[in-house]
Amino acid sequence: MSLLIENVEKQYKIRTSATLVHALNGVSITLKRGATLGIVGESGCGKSTLARVISGLEKPSAGSIMWEGEEIADKAKNHFRPQRSRVQLVFQDPYSSLNPRQQIGSAISEVIVVHKLIPKDGIKARVEELLSIVGLSSDLQHRYPHQLSGGQRQRVSIARALAAEPDLLILDEPVSALDVSVRAEVMNLLIDLREKFNLTYIFISHDLGMIRYISDVIAVMYLGKVVEFGDWETIIERPLHPYTRALIAAMPDHSIIGNPETLSKTLQGEVPDPAHMPTGCAFHARCPIAVPICTTRTPSLIEVSNKHYVACPEVKV
Amino acid sequence: MNKSEPLLSVAHLDISTQQDPRVLINDVTFQVHEGEAVGVVGESGSGKTLSALSILGLLPRGVVVTEGSIEYNGVDLASITAQEMRKIRGSEIAMVYQDPMTALNPVMKIGDQLLEVIESHEKVDSSSQGRVREALKEVGIPDVDRAMDSYPHEFSGGMRQRVMIAMALILSPKLLIADEPTTALDVTIQQQILALVAEERRKRHMSMLWITHDLGVVANLVDRLIVMYAGRIVESGTVKEIFTNPQHPYTYGLLASLPIATDKSRRRLTSIAGVPQKPWLVGQSCSFAPRCFNATSECQNQIPQLLGTLEKSVACFHPVGVTS
Repeated sequence: MSLLIENVEKQYKIRTSATLVHALNGVSITLKRGATLGIVGESGCGKSTLARVISGLEKPSAGSIMWEGEEIADKAKNHFRPQRSRVQLVFQDPYSSLNPRQQIGSAISEVIVVHKLIPKDGIKARVEELLSIVGLSSDLQHRYPHQLSGGQRQRVSIARALAAEPDLLILDEPVSALDVSVRAEVMNLLIDLREKFNLTYIFISHDLGMIRYISDVIAVMYLGKVVEFGDWETIIERPLHPYTRALIAAMPDHSIIGNPETLSKTLQGEVPDPAHMPTGCAFHARCPIAVPICTTRTPSLIEVSNKHYVACPEVKV
Repeated sequence: MNKSEPLLSVAHLDISTQQDPRVLINDVTFQVHEGEAVGVVGESGSGKTLSALSILGLLPRGVVVTEGSIEYNGVDLASITAQEMRKIRGSEIAMVYQDPMTALNPVMKIGDQLLEVIESHEKVDSSSQGRVREALKEVGIPDVDRAMDSYPHEFSGGMRQRVMIAMALILSPKLLIADEPTTALDVTIQQQILALVAEERRKRHMSMLWITHDLGVVANLVDRLIVMYAGRIVESGTVKEIFTNPQHPYTYGLLASLPIATDKSRRRLTSIAGVPQKPWLVGQSCSFAPRCFNATSECQNQIPQLLGTLEKSVACFHPVGVTS
């Protein structure tokens, strides 16, 4: 076991009132080294908050995150830096995560310098090596972000993350902002890099198609909780939680065509406000199989078959 | 397929910037028939949005139609006055945008905004309030009275998009143009909106032009598809033809690059090398040639014309699956 997330909670306070926004409500996940965890859910489900907490950008309000036997959340800042280089993040929009006034080469070398990873005279060669690893020509190192295409910029973000020599890469919607025709290339690159450097990935997306393509295990989140967890085939082919089922049914899927009926099979209502959490099961108001007790009973994640966890006592296995 | 006169007929449309002319749309020709739904698919910069905006005379400042005609019900929309256009906009052809927060007035109550739409075309009378209420109810807004008295920021993204649709439908237009109205929404909410639009279209026998970058969204919504690349139409045809028998290498590659949510195999995604070209940099060649697996010298020296029928047309010298 390599990544151990246990009962992680995160609340944010709204400055003008006493209300708490419950972003994460007790998330527990374990992930083996070298595996890829896909996290899927709609906006407000807490998937990006989880990414920030795992990477150490934010402290959880409760719970613990262990990476290779070491606590991530507890590190004092200076002490924490060597740890931080082992966990890196790639964001959705490389245009806002890269400094517009910094040349590509310097954006990458900066990471190597900060983490004191190699001697000074080796940095130039290392930057060129990193560019070639992500499929970019070394000529690009003197360019600025605006001179690159969206796909190239995202490759730079990936090179920058790899510069820190991480074991764990957190990818937060890494292809969502890219044009459809370049998404596949970046996805294939990520899969190649994972094998080449024995990386562990946390791949966060609202796009179940991409999640299905890259993940070994999938966690489905709803309102700050994991509602279903299992290996990718189980989640895609034998989903049990009514929310996972609805999510799969709502995926725009071009394998079914010319059938407007498929559009009507969808959930009613919208995701509740995390500042005013519903009682009982957070999904009950939209759930097609809800029974009266769901409004008061809080379901926990139960193993229903081998390594397949579902947080719903009403599903028939 | 509808063989009658098309409701909307765009022919040989060219659009470019006024200063330092840069071609943005090149020789675009398509039709929308009565009751028909047509999808326009393309990536950013392909010209799908500009094509739609030009129909309603809403091109951004400095961007103009330089060639071609846009005929709606026998009237050339490219040559009418601003006043005549205002009569058509909203009542005959209505539009729904991607981001309702910028399309709605943030400091005006929802009820008043819908009333304003009626007012811009007809005399408002005692029945108008009732029409607004009816329109909001129809698109699934709960507690209509409270909604009319609310401001846009008090709604969720999905509810705002419902309000936009109510606004677009309140004068019963014959043609609805939608520019990626579900792109910013979560998938389950997107599905709700698509179901709503499909239902309204069926009830009203309304024509539709649906612009999107997502092939999955239109697969079950429209009758025909137009695929745009670098300012030109590269392929068009019925949904079935495009999805099951794509002939342009771009369409073919695009479909192959999409993971299918329910696919059991995990085949490696086929990718299209390179990046889309800027339409004004293409010149006398096929715009897709630099990225194409089928390209020959012919493709570098000539622009392929869009040839075929309503059921299926393709602009390519070496279409996929066709041996020459």
